[in-house]
Amino acid sequence: MSDVAAPAPVSLAAPSAWRRATRSGGLALGLVLVVVLILVAALAKWVAPYDPDAQDVMMVLEGPASAHWFGTDAFGRDVLSRVIWGARISLFVGFVATLAGVVFGTVVGVISGYYGGKIDKAITAATDVLLSFPQLIMGLMLVAVLGPSLRNLILAIAITAIPAFIRVARGSTLAMKERDFVDACRALGYGDLRIMFLHILPNIMDEVVVMASLWLATAIRTESTLAFIGLGVPPPTATWGGIVREGFDNLLDGWWLSVFPSLAILLVMIALNLIGDGLRDATDPRAPQ
Amino acid sequence: MKKHIIAAAAALALLASTAPGAYAQTLNIGMAAADVGQLDPHRATTTQDKPVVSWIFNGLVRFKPGSASLETLEPDLAEKWESSPDKLTWTFTLRKGVKFHGDYGEMTSEDVVYSLKRAADSKTSSFAADYGAIDSIEAVDPSTVRIKLKQAIPSLLGLVTNYHGGNIVSKKAVEALGADFRLKPIGTGPFAFQEYKPNESLTLVANKSYFRGAPKLEKIVYRFIPADSARDLAFTSGELDLVYGRQDQKWAERFKKEKDVVVDVLRPAELSVIHLNMAMKPLDDKRVRQAVAYAINRAQMVQFKGELVAEEPTSVVPNGYLGTVKAPLFPHDVAKAKALLKEAGFENGVQLKSVQTSLPTMLNSMQIVQNQLKQAGIDLQLEVVDHQTYHANIRKDLSGVSYYSAARFPVADVYLTQFYSSKSIVGTPTAVTNFSHCTVADKEIDAARSEPDLAKQKELWAEAQKKIVEEVCSVPLFEQLQVWAHKTNVNFGYELKDAIHLGPVITEATTKK
Repeated sequence: MSDVAAPAPVSLAAPSAWRRATRSGGLALGLVLVVVLILVAALAKWVAPYDPDAQDVMMVLEGPASAHWFGTDAFGRDVLSRVIWGARISLFVGFVATLAGVVFGTVVGVISGYYGGKIDKAITAATDVLLSFPQLIMGLMLVAVLGPSLRNLILAIAITAIPAFIRVARGSTLAMKERDFVDACRALGYGDLRIMFLHILPNIMDEVVVMASLWLATAIRTESTLAFIGLGVPPPTATWGGIVREGFDNLLDGWWLSVFPSLAILLVMIALNLIGDGLRDATDPRAPQ
Repeated sequence: MKKHIIAAAAALALLASTAPGAYAQTLNIGMAAADVGQLDPHRATTTQDKPVVSWIFNGLVRFKPGSASLETLEPDLAEKWESSPDKLTWTFTLRKGVKFHGDYGEMTSEDVVYSLKRAADSKTSSFAADYGAIDSIEAVDPSTVRIKLKQAIPSLLGLVTNYHGGNIVSKKAVEALGADFRLKPIGTGPFAFQEYKPNESLTLVANKSYFRGAPKLEKIVYRFIPADSARDLAFTSGELDLVYGRQDQKWAERFKKEKDVVVDVLRPAELSVIHLNMAMKPLDDKRVRQAVAYAINRAQMVQFKGELVAEEPTSVVPNGYLGTVKAPLFPHDVAKAKALLKEAGFENGVQLKSVQTSLPTMLNSMQIVQNQLKQAGIDLQLEVVDHQTYHANIRKDLSGVSYYSAARFPVADVYLTQFYSSKSIVGTPTAVTNFSHCTVADKEIDAARSEPDLAKQKELWAEAQKKIVEEVCSVPLFEQLQVWAHKTNVNFGYELKDAIHLGPVITEATTKK
């Protein structure tokens, strides 16, 4: 890749870091949970016992039983199947929106930190404006303006994620660009782009990744919240927030309608936070060796 | 500052002196809507507005409280009336000494003439089309009004009842308040408007000088609680005395079992219909519309809604109206629907778009429709928006499939005119609620309106219904009975069977123990 070996200060791949991260078991548990959830979501077609949209007038609002583990909703649809299919939307929206936020935010952040000066001032000011809106309010405004659809939902959540990643990337870049290896790159006559994205970027990635794992949880929660207040993917598509919302209308007739999708949201939140915490411990140089 | 302190002290004193008594005589009502639409009686058409209008306004005649039958019309602001032998001239003698709410003075023939002319003007009324047959309205003297007709119509009295355009407003108030009148209504009814809190509640107070006597209730607080569960909880916990119920079987069954609760299942039913916009592709193709009609399973719709609260419709006009027939509705036949789609070139399915409200009961109905259409390869895309936007957008001709649930004055003419006459097509200056751009039955609808012979008139209405069904302007889904519930300590003061205003009438005789 490069003929000058740029020193990597901390790396996820370092054995000691991995040992530190997995010592408490949290990261491993979180990873296992997320992998299982992703597998279930990906294999929904085979895992889900019923078609999530199939209505059955004879099975309306039946409680949990052996035929329907999570009960049925007001249309006689199987809640378990809807929760499983809902995982696809929730995880998909979460991953894609976070990825979009990470890519765009990090690129802009690195540019901002690397060049400094007027560019940096302008980007920082814009970021501050975006950050001054509470994240949910911002998502709500964007979806309200764009109209509720899967694409707009992802777009809205991605936009709310961008400023956070600009900040992280910019801060790390500021520290990194003073390091000797960057001077060495300059001495070798490398272009700015090459220095920014082949040398600085790999060295700030660990912080971005930690941030991303925590943001993933936020993105999924935002999706659920927006769906709950009616700004999610239109029916009949099952989403976790949407199932909770529909269940809420019949809460007195069926507690199971809202409880199970809520538990699914809770589970994924716990898993992602375990991962985030584990990764932070692993990459924090001040953490005990 | 001083003024504020005095005002606060006065308010406190008032609160202390009247609170306990007033509290017991306040009727708390819960409605399934996020907010009021509007309270101008000549504009109010939605379920949350119509009952309130009926407590504030009077007509020249009125439906007997608790009844929705034209046979029971009785004197209201008019003491008596007579008609010429050819039924073209009607003379009404008004009750004397009736006062409008607030400082708007006595109701006279001037107000009546002003109100009816206002109701007949499409710039100020949603019901102008109903008044097309009126030639002139004049005040003979302060307590006599004469109405002349161009031709005989099915029910002149229907136009002057306490319903839609027949409500009498105060000329002075409308002119003084202008656009504010829509949320500051001034009428002659037993309750007067007091306060409006957006997205929260309306407060009405007793009209102490009501001509039938001062109401026994002190106040009505009409709360907007769109979430079904929250409304149910408020009712169960005693915060509400009367509640707009959920239109489903389970709800009715559950509340029937509750102690101290009476469930009211009321007529007239609202007919739920999907209007198919034939000015839009691919619904301009009759075969696609027929496929939709074949794909709908009315029996299953009723099963979902529950037999206690829903019935199968018989036509594109609600059951029980003067002139409703058993129209040749399409049977449920998925194979035929698929064959028709194939013939129309949509072998791999077709996509339809619908602007739909987020109100749970209505959205739920549409999800059942969505599922039934899916069986026939029709993909119904729902664009879910808040209720006001839904009402606005379907009227801007933005929806392919428009779900609409409505009850109207119980004469076929009104429903046919508003939903299926070419004059009523949405997006035109004379628009009412013809969402489908239906034009096939214009001739029959117009001819029936001025046909003096009832038998012939009914034939024309039957022919109109048949043509509309065959053209598939709309597909009837189910008839939804109105479901309310009240606590046993509420006594309406009359026998509640029907609710022409989509909610129980609260009269001067209504009490709460």
